[in-house]
Amino acid sequence: MKWGKRNDDLDEEIRAHLAMAARDRVERGESPADAAFNARREFGNEALVKEITREMWGWTAIQRFYQDVRYALRQMRRSPGFTAVAVLTLALGLGAATAMFSIVNGVLLRPLEYHDPGRLFVARTVLPPEARIAHDFPINARHFAEWRAHCRSCESVSLIQMADLTLVGAGEPVKLYALKTSWNFFQTLGVHPVLGRDFLPGEERGLGQVILSDSLWRSRFRADPSILGRAIQLNGEPHTVIGVMPRSLVLPRGDQWGSLFGPAEEPLIFEPLGFDPSQLRANNLNYTSVIRLKPGVSRGQASAELNALLADFVRQDHLQTKIALFPLLEQVTRNARTSLLLLLGAVGAVLLIVCVNVGNLMLVQTAGRYREAGVRLALGASRTRLFGQMLKEALVLVAMGGTLGLLLAYAGLKLFAAAAPIDLPRLEEAHIDWHVLAFGLAAAAFSTFTCGLVPAWNLSRTEPLDSLKASAGATESGHKLRFREILVGLEVALSTVLLSVGGLLLLSFVKVMHVDKGFETERVVTQDISFLSPKYAHGGRARVLRLMLEQLARIPGVRAVGATSRLPLTGEDWIANLHDPDSSRPERDEPLANFRFVTPDYWRAMGIPLVRGRFFRENEWSQQVAIVSEGAGRFLWPGQDPIGRHVRGLGGAGPAFDVVGVVGEVPAGPLDQNRPTMVYTPYSFESPVGVSLVLRTAGDPDSAIRAARAMLAQIDPEMALPPAQTMEQILDASVAARRFEMRLAVAFALAALLLAGLGICGVISFAVARRRPEIGIRIAMGAQSGQVIAMVLRQGMRPVLPGLLAGVAGAMASSRLLTGELYQVAPRDPRLILGVAAVMLSTALVACWLPARRGAATDPIAALRAE
Amino acid sequence: MSRIELVQGTLDMLILETLRWGAQHGYGIAQAIRAGSSDVLQVETGSLYPALHRLERQRFIKAEWKQSENRQRAKYYSLTAAGRKHLAAERERWSQVSAAIAALMKARESEA
Repeated sequence: MKWGKRNDDLDEEIRAHLAMAARDRVERGESPADAAFNARREFGNEALVKEITREMWGWTAIQRFYQDVRYALRQMRRSPGFTAVAVLTLALGLGAATAMFSIVNGVLLRPLEYHDPGRLFVARTVLPPEARIAHDFPINARHFAEWRAHCRSCESVSLIQMADLTLVGAGEPVKLYALKTSWNFFQTLGVHPVLGRDFLPGEERGLGQVILSDSLWRSRFRADPSILGRAIQLNGEPHTVIGVMPRSLVLPRGDQWGSLFGPAEEPLIFEPLGFDPSQLRANNLNYTSVIRLKPGVSRGQASAELNALLADFVRQDHLQTKIALFPLLEQVTRNARTSLLLLLGAVGAVLLIVCVNVGNLMLVQTAGRYREAGVRLALGASRTRLFGQMLKEALVLVAMGGTLGLLLAYAGLKLFAAAAPIDLPRLEEAHIDWHVLAFGLAAAAFSTFTCGLVPAWNLSRTEPLDSLKASAGATESGHKLRFREILVGLEVALSTVLLSVGGLLLLSFVKVMHVDKGFETERVVTQDISFLSPKYAHGGRARVLRLMLEQLARIPGVRAVGATSRLPLTGEDWIANLHDPDSSRPERDEPLANFRFVTPDYWRAMGIPLVRGRFFRENEWSQQVAIVSEGAGRFLWPGQDPIGRHVRGLGGAGPAFDVVGVVGEVPAGPLDQNRPTMVYTPYSFESPVGVSLVLRTAGDPDSAIRAARAMLAQIDPEMALPPAQTMEQILDASVAARRFEMRLAVAFALAALLLAGLGICGVISFAVARRRPEIGIRIAMGAQSGQVIAMVLRQGMRPVLPGLLAGVAGAMASSRLLTGELYQVAPRDPRLILGVAAVMLSTALVACWLPARRGAATDPIAALRAE
Repeated sequence: MSRIELVQGTLDMLILETLRWGAQHGYGIAQAIRAGSSDVLQVETGSLYPALHRLERQRFIKAEWKQSENRQRAKYYSLTAAGRKHLAAERERWSQVSAAIAALMKARESEA
């Protein structure tokens, strides 16, 4: 039976009841009019009876929901302005929260797509705190050999190292970021080649087998399946392709394996990594171990065993190091974690403010409906019904806002992916999946309640008699006003916290950008080259490099040209103990230093100032001379002149170097990290394969670098030339993550400020409108407009001050979480807190002043006549 | 004498009992209960109609539209087979409960 028909039936049933009751009364002698009236009175509340009778039909819940939604839509049509503001702010809040969550979900929460990824760990070396080096290191090859042979907690122990390979003969020569792996690396992850086969144990001896990534296979070999078994030229030597990995395989980029691993690129090709006994004796930390634990083995158990297996080495070498196991997912996402969680928190606070704001607007909106609520209650509507209906109005708003928000989130995600700094790992994995939808639904449910609860409770508490007696304007009792004030206070508090977070990040960013870099970025352009071809295998790199530098220096507009094994800001590298042969300092007290192999004009090209002594001379390309950074000098020879002293690097082996100069400190990694101790020796001494050329130009660096690249291609046509980068670009990339985080946090803070301002303005406007007659009387009695404004301001600012105090307290409490993200800014910097308070207060003042001024302009006669 | 409002279970039973004598409309049922109890039992319409619709949904009674003797179209309820069974069970339960209560009260009376 249709609901409408059933309703008509009930109406008729009750009409029949009344008719029969009236007839009986007429028969007992009452007048027809009296009889009808008395029958009705005896019947009771007709609407209420119908209402509760309908409830017996069982399906009224759905019916009522539909009815309430229709009612809510009618209400919304009546106030399109309010609806638009509510839906739009909800859409922005829910959209931003959903987009942010989908990023957190994709980057931090989604398991890695390897077999049983919870059992995968990365083993890294950590130093004791006094080493003043916060990050962790790769491990030694001996560690790996020991673990692989003996570890009982491990199901599989694998080892990887980054390598560069130059591919020639498949299009342009290109430098490939390669991963050298122990034969069982893919097996440890639980992934398999889609074409061909994996490495075999015997192939670690370096028989020239390689496995291709899907993207290299497609881009360079046209996805040709017959590539298997074919020879390709890598570093000038033939290698046999034995397999191709699947397209779906996502491996961490070089920078995500931890510090000192490799560049922010995905590996394109894989070759076996093996050791001969002499390499196993070497002391260097160059490798990263990926370990799969046996099921049921805890991280603590395993790391205890790994460390115990190394006990002999540690004793022999007086090592201070320990091995730590990091879950693979945590290791890969470590850099992004704090920042993303911080931004998610911020966007959550914005959403909360949006909800409070919409709730507040609804409260204002419903103020005109107390009379209606009173009438409905008097006519028999139940309070729960009124309550539910108000919640449904919130639900309709949230549903509209949420749908729009989901579209915004979808678009926002694309925008975010385009704007995000590239070192946000796994960003490509962020998309809207069912986790995100579930989050969106939960956020919407939360929003519905936060928006709707207070207005619903308020409306359902209406006293029918009071609301009918009083005039529409004056129906608000004190506690309802206080509700709004609490909501305003909450908004102010949340905005204050967000403002202080945004302010701290902004200040930190400014501080980072103004830090003395120790080198110049303007008109300095760099070109990476690598001497990978076997013709350089037995020396000759320094000779070719020298020839290149001589040629490049002749290009018009080039002021100075030099080369270094690693550019500032691109990471620490070649770290070893720094040893003074003339001192008796024990090895464990020696500082760790970054070694750089450079050409004589490097500092002039990079603009690194000379502090003492001199730079290298042209005839010192292979002399045992060294230049140290100021910090190195201070550490090794406090209060003395480093010139003429000696240092020995790389574990104390090899020749000693005469210190001939002291230069300024430059950052090795990010600008906001400590400047490491730095030692420069001539390039020929170590002759690393990868070199960065540095050109300082007089004018536009573009034309100079074009000429330089042409010249390099002439000198060695087989050399791969990745795109040139100016130092400004490198600087930009090094602060991109910080800038991105700061911009988002500031944007959220400003959104919060704007919303809080709107909230205050809305509440005060309403209060002023409600008090218009009273204000009219005051003005008629001679109150000045200044007095009226002051009165409104006093009322308006009343909830702002406690909110501000609560916000400051909240900012102080939460600032500790921020410490890791800050640079040279105290998390509780009183000036910042004062500044934030001033911004918040002035916003609140403006938000109160606008409606106050309107109130003061009240025409007393018009106001009183309206009453 | 004050009128007594009926609780739900009892009202259901009285409605079924009233309908045992033939189909009746809501107004008629209310009048019958009131008259049958010499004006002691009061049936609120706010309880009667929900009860009728609930019993109808439980299929203890069925409804059809008929003309009353005064040519007034009204909704007449009548017992179904399930309703008869239910009434018998309720009756049984009721007599047990009221006998138990009566015995209890009598015992108290004699103690007093």
